[in-house]
Amino acid sequence: MDEDSGYDSDDALLELDGVTKYFGQESGLLAGLEFEPNQFPPVNVNRETVKAVDDVSLEIQPGETLGLVGESGCGKSTLGRTILRLLEPTDGDIYFKGENLADLGGGELRRMRSDMQMIFQDPQSSLDPRMKVGQIIEEPMRAHDMLDDEGRRARAKELLEKVGLDPRHYNRHPHAFSGGQRQRINLARALSVDPDFVVCDEPVSALDVSIQAQVLNTMESLQEEFGLTYLFIAHDLSVIRHISDRVAVMYLGNIVELAEKEELFENPQHPYTRALLDSIPVPDPRENGVRGVLEGEVPSPVDPPSGCRFRTRCPRLIAPDTYDWSEEKWAQTRAFMRAVKRRSFEPMPAARIEAEFFDGDRPGGEAGSIIDEAIDLVASDGGGGGDGDDKSDRWATATDLLLESFAEQSICAHERPAYDLESEHGDGDHFAACHLHR
Amino acid sequence: MSSEPLLRVENLKTQFFTEEGTVRAVDGISFEVREGEIVGLVGESGAGKSVASMSIMGLVESPGEIVGGEITYKGETLFGLEEGPDGELRERDDMLSSEEIRTRIRGNEIAVIFQDPMESLNPVFTVGGQLREFIELNRGLPEDEARTEAIDMLREVGIPDPEERYDEYPHQFSGGMRQRVLIAMALACEPSLIIADEPTTALDVTVEGQILDLVDDLQEKYGTSFIWVTHDLGVVAEICDRVNVMYLGEIVEKAPVDDLFYDTKHPYTNALLNSIPRPDRTVTELEAIEGVMPEAISPPSGCRFHPRCPDAREVCKRAHPEAKTVADADGEPHQAACVKHDAFDAGYDQSSPLEGAAVDAGPAAVEEPESELTANPAGDDSGGEQRE
Repeated sequence: MDEDSGYDSDDALLELDGVTKYFGQESGLLAGLEFEPNQFPPVNVNRETVKAVDDVSLEIQPGETLGLVGESGCGKSTLGRTILRLLEPTDGDIYFKGENLADLGGGELRRMRSDMQMIFQDPQSSLDPRMKVGQIIEEPMRAHDMLDDEGRRARAKELLEKVGLDPRHYNRHPHAFSGGQRQRINLARALSVDPDFVVCDEPVSALDVSIQAQVLNTMESLQEEFGLTYLFIAHDLSVIRHISDRVAVMYLGNIVELAEKEELFENPQHPYTRALLDSIPVPDPRENGVRGVLEGEVPSPVDPPSGCRFRTRCPRLIAPDTYDWSEEKWAQTRAFMRAVKRRSFEPMPAARIEAEFFDGDRPGGEAGSIIDEAIDLVASDGGGGGDGDDKSDRWATATDLLLESFAEQSICAHERPAYDLESEHGDGDHFAACHLHR
Repeated sequence: MSSEPLLRVENLKTQFFTEEGTVRAVDGISFEVREGEIVGLVGESGAGKSVASMSIMGLVESPGEIVGGEITYKGETLFGLEEGPDGELRERDDMLSSEEIRTRIRGNEIAVIFQDPMESLNPVFTVGGQLREFIELNRGLPEDEARTEAIDMLREVGIPDPEERYDEYPHQFSGGMRQRVLIAMALACEPSLIIADEPTTALDVTVEGQILDLVDDLQEKYGTSFIWVTHDLGVVAEICDRVNVMYLGEIVEKAPVDDLFYDTKHPYTNALLNSIPRPDRTVTELEAIEGVMPEAISPPSGCRFHPRCPDAREVCKRAHPEAKTVADADGEPHQAACVKHDAFDAGYDQSSPLEGAAVDAGPAAVEEPESELTANPAGDDSGGEQRE
């Protein structure tokens, strides 16, 4: 397959360079038009975009499995689809076998597609219930004009056997199969055009644990047999640890850490990766880990935080240089700032706020007077005791004051982090997007 | 241990009468829940764990029916049958009426948290309104008191700014927040028992961690007992005190959590533990369990796990094991339903291994094309009419 492209198999099979995908909130002529009665002209065009994937660069080597892990909404599926050009990237370049996919015309792209296939999460809805299994598997071959009728039929049967199904089931409909079997049909369909690269989007997350293991084992042996390269997208870190060679962790459209599997799991360098790893329930009752270490929720991708996107929840947000802190005072201030922002405590007298958040000993100097001002705004005996809009305003003012004086001053808010570190396990590169490594 | 357990389920049988035949979804399970403990009900989909928990609440709907067994809660009979004068089974007199169960038990004594919080909340009413109504109805409070109580509950489960969010609709809440609302609703009447049916399965790991933490805190504060229905052995290890492992309508192993993981007595539990990828260490080879769980409509003879069991022998095809105590776990019985243990005395040691089991059940057997075909609902080869 590689003869005509001049592709050298020592190079990366796939290379992403600053791939970005934004979605407009709505499409259409009048989309995003808003009526604003108190300005002139009284209309406003809302150009909000969801920054689903933002400036992602990575390489995938031939024959390897790159695990892509993250929570829902982090953009991992969008990235998978953008790579296959099922979605048009907003910006950035995708090189497959050294060729820029953006430069390819319709016909060439179509040809290239036979080398890149995809497996979806839901084995039920990704198979046409009115088609027979044989037709389903032959369809991609027909679309790419591969083989003749006889040849396609023979290949479909061979593939059924390869993925662990009975070739005699060629004439059955998908509904006659269990979830695990349907996912095997999906595998057979993806492999029918002899691809080099398969994007697997949560292929086993809808399956029961015992079936999950069967399908994972089959995927591994197929990879070996056909020399496949996988981009394995999943939210389950245990599955990722089992199947991947290297792992990329995504948060809010960015890759925050990328390293070899062993290195990433044993020596995680980004606070988000650590939080993820700490949160997974370990199937071992004698393991008494901490959990729920992350507070709050993922911010909206419409307006992601500046600098490091994880900074609004990061347990290790770096202290701004403007003030002189001890580690402890900064930790207390950080906790207080976030509590005010989330309004997670009830109005109480200033003295109690100080006792609760600062052990009765708030930081001195300039920082101290800012904190004083904020406490005064939200304390029940300060002025925050009122009700309704006034109270809301005061909390908002306090939040702005604290964020502007502290959070926005941190290096985490100014610069987007990107650091290459030494690996402790193995000799691969270790990328971590965290200013703790500056 | 000493006093009467909070909930006792004995030999519960729930069946669904369908056109294809009788589905024995729950087939004679017994377990108990004591005060202040979290009891796990673990199994794969189709094992009958959700049906079991719904049976306790009396929420099984037609064509399903509880056909046998006894459910006792705080000394009161939630369900019980006795033999009538002409040999017919009829409901016992001391059984609570469905009216009583609805007004007195459900919500006030036993509450449920379901997996999908979006389906449990009504999208056209505000979150606060639904919670308030629930409190009004179950606790008989006037509206304004119920409102205050509702806001307090929302705060209790960690919803920021509860007064503002009281007037928001479910779609304005994230998945984790909605699950918190359901926990608030379950706790609102301070029930003694909460049945949690896969409550964290639909959530992201970091959110799941937050919810598990919350449950820990609340359990400490209110002393509520839980029945935790899940398929995730990680969650089980994390929060359960005692665990019941279900397979095809039966409880196959019952043990305190530490013994279940470190002194596993049933081959199914063992196989399950070996087939999961681990987050804390790299497993190079997953030992998948062969085949799939058969349909509950026609369970295999003898031990129901024997067609997939690596330890199966001839005797397993015939003898149907009831769970027996096979070990002692610090005063707690450790029960398993497997004849390989001496307690059964079924002649396992003399029996010859089953063909295709034990001998070649190593990881290699996983790739066999037949592995999943046993349970194909379409039956034998009828679908492949054009075979060569």
